[in-house]
Amino acid sequence: MAFDKMELRDIEVWDGNFAAAQAMRQAQIDVVAAYPITPSTPIVEGYAKFLADGYVEGEFVMVESEHAAMSGCIGAAAAGGRVATATSSQGFALMVETLYQSSGMRLPIVLNVVNRALAAPLNVNGDHSDMYLGRDSGWIQLDAYSPQEAYDLNFIAFRVSEDHDVRLPCMVHQDGFMTSHTAQGVKTLTDDVAYGFVGEYKPMNDMLDLDHPVTHGVQTEEDWHFEHKARQHNDLMTKVMPKIQEVFDDFEKLSGRKYNIVEGYDMDDADVAVVCMGTSVETAREVAGEMREKGIKAGVIGIRVFRPFPFMEMAEALKGIKAIAALDRSSPNGAPGMLFNELSGVLFSQKSDAALSGYVYGLGGRDLTKAHLVDLYNELQANADAGKVLTPLQQFIGVRGPKLSFL
Amino acid sequence: MENNGWNEFEIGAMLRSFDGAATDIATTHQEDRNYSSSNSFTASVADWRIEKPLFNKDYCIDCQFCWIYCPDMSIISRDKKMIGVDMDHCKGCGICVEVCPTNPKSLLMFAEQQNEEEALAAWPEKEEKEK
Amino acid sequence: MSEIKKIKNLKEFSTSADRFEGANLLCPGCAHSIIVREVLNATNDDLILSAATGCLEVCTAVYPYTSWDASWIHIGFENGSTAVAGAEAMYNALKKKGRLKQPDREPKFVSFAGDGASYDIGFQWISGCFERGHNMMHVVLDNEVYANTGGQRSSSTPIGSSATTSPAGRVSYGEKKNKKDMLSIMAAHGAPYVAQVAPNKWKNMVKAIQQGFAVEGPVFINAMSACTTEWKFAPEDTIDISDMATDSLVFPLYEIIDGKKLNITYRPKNVIPVEEYLAAQGRFKHLFKDQFKYLIKEWQERIDSNWDYLQRREEAGV
Repeated sequence: MAFDKMELRDIEVWDGNFAAAQAMRQAQIDVVAAYPITPSTPIVEGYAKFLADGYVEGEFVMVESEHAAMSGCIGAAAAGGRVATATSSQGFALMVETLYQSSGMRLPIVLNVVNRALAAPLNVNGDHSDMYLGRDSGWIQLDAYSPQEAYDLNFIAFRVSEDHDVRLPCMVHQDGFMTSHTAQGVKTLTDDVAYGFVGEYKPMNDMLDLDHPVTHGVQTEEDWHFEHKARQHNDLMTKVMPKIQEVFDDFEKLSGRKYNIVEGYDMDDADVAVVCMGTSVETAREVAGEMREKGIKAGVIGIRVFRPFPFMEMAEALKGIKAIAALDRSSPNGAPGMLFNELSGVLFSQKSDAALSGYVYGLGGRDLTKAHLVDLYNELQANADAGKVLTPLQQFIGVRGPKLSFL
Repeated sequence: MENNGWNEFEIGAMLRSFDGAATDIATTHQEDRNYSSSNSFTASVADWRIEKPLFNKDYCIDCQFCWIYCPDMSIISRDKKMIGVDMDHCKGCGICVEVCPTNPKSLLMFAEQQNEEEALAAWPEKEEKEK
Repeated sequence: MSEIKKIKNLKEFSTSADRFEGANLLCPGCAHSIIVREVLNATNDDLILSAATGCLEVCTAVYPYTSWDASWIHIGFENGSTAVAGAEAMYNALKKKGRLKQPDREPKFVSFAGDGASYDIGFQWISGCFERGHNMMHVVLDNEVYANTGGQRSSSTPIGSSATTSPAGRVSYGEKKNKKDMLSIMAAHGAPYVAQVAPNKWKNMVKAIQQGFAVEGPVFINAMSACTTEWKFAPEDTIDISDMATDSLVFPLYEIIDGKKLNITYRPKNVIPVEEYLAAQGRFKHLFKDQFKYLIKEWQERIDSNWDYLQRREEAGV
């Protein structure tokens, strides 16, 4: 055996970065091509140390930029093997060209994105600007709210992405610093169980099958481009969600940990709900519990699968809710927030009369405090009672200066 | 293939060069290959030509200059002999004629509609070298 | 290491079975294709290929057709080198793990890119590949211009050439900067083999390619690709123009071994004046106007000086 297995305790104290690095090690990736960037750097460093200590058999290529990292991943994935990398923020932005190329070529690649703000002004802390930037790139995007989830979702990502009916690259998001650098208890899988779940890589259209030469990355113009893009969209809309659900179910059987495409907390009898992503979900859950003690039937919806967007699942989750807040942690720069817009579409199509309001929060790592959420739930309750939105449709939370709101 | 719908092709716009396994392709000549319908070998650019090269084997010395410098894999050489021009893939650039060293040349350009037999019958005589 | 293909002479070479196909969409008379053939036919080993966005790429993989008989990938303009480097890394990984489907075969990894995709936009990616030492060959199809997009200048465009973004005009002689010396730059990476080749000197070129395939590590090949469309000469003259380029020493053919030892690989029997080379191409036509004629003299001096430099390096064994 050219590499050693690692003995793990049932529960380890890991931050999100190390949890992701451990999952990558356990998946026995064939090629990692990577470039470090805060706050995802420790994933790359952790993996490098595993290699240095003899726990990794695959190739590790430290390239000269994030663009080259994804370019190398594309070449390696097309060659025919398991491929993954990690990045954040500006590095993600530099990768964008290759994100569209990898998904369009239908290459399974797992990308750990440790969410961080986009300059200018330069900022190393967590918000969702990079995650939002990727949303039209044709990738699957899964969102982790904690180190445990960052660990688990990596295994799930390989299974979904590499499935021959899917063959689409997949991002696993976690919040910069709040998740990536915050150590928590993580329930582990043994190396054998983890690899057994991910399974052996099954090549498809692999360049290294020398008896079956393939051409990847062709030119298509107006006579063909539309059909190929339509095919990719079709597969994202029809094949990915059932596969994710199947893998979630398998993972629950294996670990007892249950994931849902849309996560609902205290939603069964809720009148008001906050819809958000990342670590904010956990803060909102805590506040919702406290609001319930004050008599407000508060709930929280977390988006687990960001792309493809869970439109019908969201419609189901929002059924009967009177007032809803969409929390966007990315500056919409001249529009309502992305989540506000997506939820508007969901609610309008369902002829819902729920009062939907949008909030922009937490840019550049600004904390979303419990006090913010208490105020927010109170506003939602007022909206629910009035049967309409009493506040402007878009409000900024936690920014200094005069109250900022629009629409 | 041209009219296929969005659901009728391989994902990722991937193309295969051959149908089935193609072992040892580097030593297998075109006539023995199982080209897929997406290999451009199965297509033609004959309609690009305004002029075509015609080959007169009487003067050919099999030097293979035309073979090595043909940009369109259209000089057919087998067993070290030049045996003809692939008219489906020749674009009529005329390089083969330019590099032909024989006197008279073994390849000459003619109008696309030129009758081959007539051209061969009226092939130019050997040119006297200028002193 | 696999055996080197025996190519004693052109007759023997002509028994090769091309792995690059016709009915591609390259211009009639395009030298790109001649270069690709000489590279591919230099070996009988399996090949894993890439092309950067450019003439070669857009003309040889236009859906639903491919002109490639070996596995081939295109990602973008700048990253063709890294595409092949990624595939090479995967080959090494699967070899270690015993998962190669044909474990007894050792493919060669080759990336093709134009001068724009190599000297300019793809420069960083190539530098990264060479610094890391991937076992691959990068072949530049050097036509000294962005030909695919209609003739814009690149950092390979020579002084006095009229390109669409450095056009000759009433007061301008066209491109103002001299061509970037990519061979020295790539040799400075410590690459085991770097060579400038030209397809008209086929034997010289095939020998260089075979030497490149024989060494371990990254190999850089700068192949002159005379461009009928942008250099503005008749399609049938591709080889004539190429001969003028090599015989005027505008494109001297040489190699640099291990980043340190330069060998001149072709010495013309009769060196022709640079003026003949310039006069044969439309892109230099304006240099023959009285106001710009001094540039022709400067050209000759520059070429003489460069040849002198190459010879002195060769003599000194550096």
